[in-house]
Amino acid sequence: MPIVTMTVNGRPVSADVDPRTLLVQFLRENLMLTGTHVGCDTSQCGACTVHLDGHAVKACTVLALQAEGGAVVTIEGLGAPGLLHPMQEAFREHHGLQCGFCTPGMIMAAIDIVNRHGNELAEHTVREELEGNICRCTGYHNIVRAITEGARAMAAPVLNRAAE
Amino acid sequence: MTVTRIGEAVRRKEDHRFITGKGQYTDDIFRPRQTHAYFLRSPHAHARIRRLDTAEAAAMPGVVGILTGKDLAEDKIGDLICGWMIHDIHGQPMKMGSHPALAKEKVRYVGDHVAVVIAERLDQARDAAEAIEVDYEVLPAVADLATATDATAALVHDEIAGNLAFEWHLGHKAMTDHAFERAHHVTRLDIVNNRLVPNPMEPRAAIGEYDSGNDSFTLWTTSQNPHVARLVLSAFVGIAPEHKLRVIAPDVGGGFGSKIFIYAEETVCAWASKRVGRPVKWTSDRSEAFLSDAHGRDHITTAELALDERGKITALRVKTRANMGAYLSTFASSIPTYLYATLLSGQYDIPAIHAAVEAVYTTTAPVDAYRGAGRPEATFVVERLAEAAAREIGMDPADFRKKNFIRKFPHQTPVIMTYDIGNYRASLDKAMEIADVKGFNRRRRQSAREGKLRGLGYSCYIEACGIAPSQAVGSLGAGVGLWESAEVRVNPTGNVEVLTGSHSHGQGHETTFAQLVSDRLGIPIEQVTVVHGDTDKVQFGMGTYGSRSGAVGMSAIVKALDKVEAKAKKIASHLLEAAEADIEFKDGKFSVAGTDRSIDFASVALNAYVAHKFPTSEIEPGLKEGAFYDPVNFTFPAGTHICELEIDPATGRTTICNWTAVDDFGVVINPMIVEGQVHGGIAQGVGQALLEGAAYDRDGQLVTGSFMDYAMPRADDLPSFKMGFTETKCPSNPLGIKGCGEAGAIAAPAAVMNAITDALGTEAVPMPATPQTVWKIARTRAAPRAAE
Amino acid sequence: MALELTGSYELPVPREAVWEALNDPEMLKRCIPGCEELEKTSDNGFRASAVAKIGPVKARFKGSVELTDLDPPAGYRIAGQGDGGIAGFAKGGAVVKLEPSEAGTTLHYSVDAQIGGKLAQLGQRLVAGTAKKLADQFFEAFAKAVTEKAAA
Repeated sequence: MPIVTMTVNGRPVSADVDPRTLLVQFLRENLMLTGTHVGCDTSQCGACTVHLDGHAVKACTVLALQAEGGAVVTIEGLGAPGLLHPMQEAFREHHGLQCGFCTPGMIMAAIDIVNRHGNELAEHTVREELEGNICRCTGYHNIVRAITEGARAMAAPVLNRAAE
Repeated sequence: MTVTRIGEAVRRKEDHRFITGKGQYTDDIFRPRQTHAYFLRSPHAHARIRRLDTAEAAAMPGVVGILTGKDLAEDKIGDLICGWMIHDIHGQPMKMGSHPALAKEKVRYVGDHVAVVIAERLDQARDAAEAIEVDYEVLPAVADLATATDATAALVHDEIAGNLAFEWHLGHKAMTDHAFERAHHVTRLDIVNNRLVPNPMEPRAAIGEYDSGNDSFTLWTTSQNPHVARLVLSAFVGIAPEHKLRVIAPDVGGGFGSKIFIYAEETVCAWASKRVGRPVKWTSDRSEAFLSDAHGRDHITTAELALDERGKITALRVKTRANMGAYLSTFASSIPTYLYATLLSGQYDIPAIHAAVEAVYTTTAPVDAYRGAGRPEATFVVERLAEAAAREIGMDPADFRKKNFIRKFPHQTPVIMTYDIGNYRASLDKAMEIADVKGFNRRRRQSAREGKLRGLGYSCYIEACGIAPSQAVGSLGAGVGLWESAEVRVNPTGNVEVLTGSHSHGQGHETTFAQLVSDRLGIPIEQVTVVHGDTDKVQFGMGTYGSRSGAVGMSAIVKALDKVEAKAKKIASHLLEAAEADIEFKDGKFSVAGTDRSIDFASVALNAYVAHKFPTSEIEPGLKEGAFYDPVNFTFPAGTHICELEIDPATGRTTICNWTAVDDFGVVINPMIVEGQVHGGIAQGVGQALLEGAAYDRDGQLVTGSFMDYAMPRADDLPSFKMGFTETKCPSNPLGIKGCGEAGAIAAPAAVMNAITDALGTEAVPMPATPQTVWKIARTRAAPRAAE
Repeated sequence: MALELTGSYELPVPREAVWEALNDPEMLKRCIPGCEELEKTSDNGFRASAVAKIGPVKARFKGSVELTDLDPPAGYRIAGQGDGGIAGFAKGGAVVKLEPSEAGTTLHYSVDAQIGGKLAQLGQRLVAGTAKKLADQFFEAFAKAVTEKAAA
């Protein structure tokens, strides 16, 4: 089996994997990073969203081998010990989660939205950008609020140090 | 450290683990030596298994075992059951088709379980399943509900004639028919309540583990009610005696009803773990979830409303055919009966009601409770009729409702329910104000100038929650009581563990329940932990569904807290050397009335355990109390939702412009959480109205079997919601709570469809009102209302 | 779910040559996309296996094919069923009619098929397109093969 090597949440990792191993399987089953979830099998729900080299990807649609040499950040890699990432904090503050299953993917997608669209997000921008993430619990109302507020908080220099 | 009060929007205690990726869902659990199960499912809707050959597959790499219905029978594992017995119009028990966890002679829907392959790795199990040879004798599918009882239809269960599980009715037929004969006006609607797939974001999963040393089983499963799962798996399916089966439902990623039921997969994982002598894990993929999770709704209804000359409702007559799917799922029979027909009076004073229900087998996935379970179907019937009737007699739909609202409480409806309290006019008025109904015509003209059709629709829903006194549901056929249990354990240092039989899978119990304890005992919410979802920790409980955890689950906690307080007062009286009758408890302090002598809660707790200062012959050491609470009535949350939307006739696309929800949930413990529950419910209701519809083709193949073909509501399908509350305190439980979990899903479909039919100027718009459907209708409408 | 597909092809060879090719297992095997096996089991029956990919679902179908309504050289009906294991199943038939034409022969076909299981669940939106593509691939290969054979 081929060996794959990458950085996950800042730490170098390396493993023998079956070539058909998906990135999400690699994260969950090899590294036991179970914060990244699998909600569908057709790349629709976004529960498995992680960052690969600074961009949001659906880890169910990327082979572990495609991430060779890359830098992956998962929900477990956000924030610093004792300090939440502003987007995590915003989801909590604005009740942007209920069952929590889609939440890691939502938060990773949200940070990516901010990275691409800046810290002042219009509601319709957030709603359109969330097209690839499904939540069945919240009706999105509070997720949208959390992301717009989290985006603003990410602009604050002090808190930003806790970011990835 | 401060006390959190009832009514505060305190942030959720459980969130930290979810936002940091530390939640522990069933699939996140890895057991030593675990194996993986893959279910071979029927590709046919209906077939007889002529031959099942697993020999080649069993020899494939990594395969640990392959089990079939034969093995199940060998071990005398019983069928899955339906736990609510309905007696039909002739007094006969409903006809329950045999429901084995793995098929015996026949398969009855696409996705039905043929065999399970257990292997070292999931891909090995899947590869081996490929090698199983099944020789099917394909039988005709029974995929169409409307024709499923025809004499020409194949029989889903050979022994059940006409595919009819039962015919049932409720209400007074003669009185109702009489009222219709005398009616000044009759409004009639043909309604299809579309079939839905619940789709919680976490797919179902299970891990069975057998401990040969103790001859006991542990089952981790995605359940809304682990104790009921254990009871059924023990008493009926026969996996193990109750005390030898531990069921754990860890973090569960949404349920919406679909995780109430006891399914084949968890049954097989538990059973098979003993067979193969290793833990057996199964996690559904989304494709399997579409096929095998119990679906929701799926009614065909004809409904008529009789009016007198002044627009007063005199009677309601309903005929409903409900799809049960291939087997009667755990609570399936109660949904189109006692959870549906009993709510047909809505918020209205209706003297006569009659509902006739046929429950029909088809070769489709089983249909059972999905958020609201029967009550959305009832609300849809009543509220579509109300809107259509008002339009037909030329009355404003809001005025029509006001005229017919129930005003005096308690109110006995003709369909069992006694509504304890409500103020329907108050929620309607408040909703109309928030929605700026006065300005609607101006907005409609503006839309018309832009070539758009604008519509406004009301939904004045009522639901019955918490479920009812156990005696009452028992007399209606329920196989279980519907009380709830709680245990409050005060530790020597004064912090508290609350054990509850409710189960949280998104509802925020860890916060709300802790909030109640904080308020009541005057200790910081951080010092309260809520324990649930493990049959080894919590003695028994009925779980979470039917918006019952607040009204019933928290009432049980209140009862236990009463006992804790009573005992603590006794102890405090010894510590303060005062008469027990003089001890007052307030803000976390026990004090002697009329003095400044007091002692705080934590000190009493410590003393309870050291037991140095009170006679243990009179007072037992320790501070731990349990309680069972049985509700005295259903609770009746009600309210008004108003949907305002705009249709682009060129594309058929419907855009919801404004959503107003004013709900009366009685006392609200945490408004942030309650609003969140309503938001989610609305989204599911809007999904039903505009997007979602499970479709089987004539061969019984599910053609909406993935998120590519089954349209889930996404962020850009929905607006932000405008929320309001009114409050009539529920007299039936100590906290005055009514329940909020299902309201949105119950109210929303009727509000959307009333708005769409308003915009299009025709009542004949089917759900889901997809752009294609709306576009076709918009094209044929010569003069829609918006252009008037 | 049901699938219907009709079409016609012009083949620059005489009708008899087309007929002969249509009854030649080796020829069919070469032309059927993904065909791995086509063994004659009786006068008009074959055992077949083929690999097909429809959208996200790839499977090896094992099954049988039978020729009926033989009307040489004007056409026949070819009917079959294949079991794709956990991917589902496909069954159906095609009526093939051969008419002499100026160029040689016009082949008309009309397919009526059903698919089920995962194929229908995940692949159904792609089935019609895939079926058309497979038919095109087959006839393209078949036209080439019969032309080459006639020229040889």
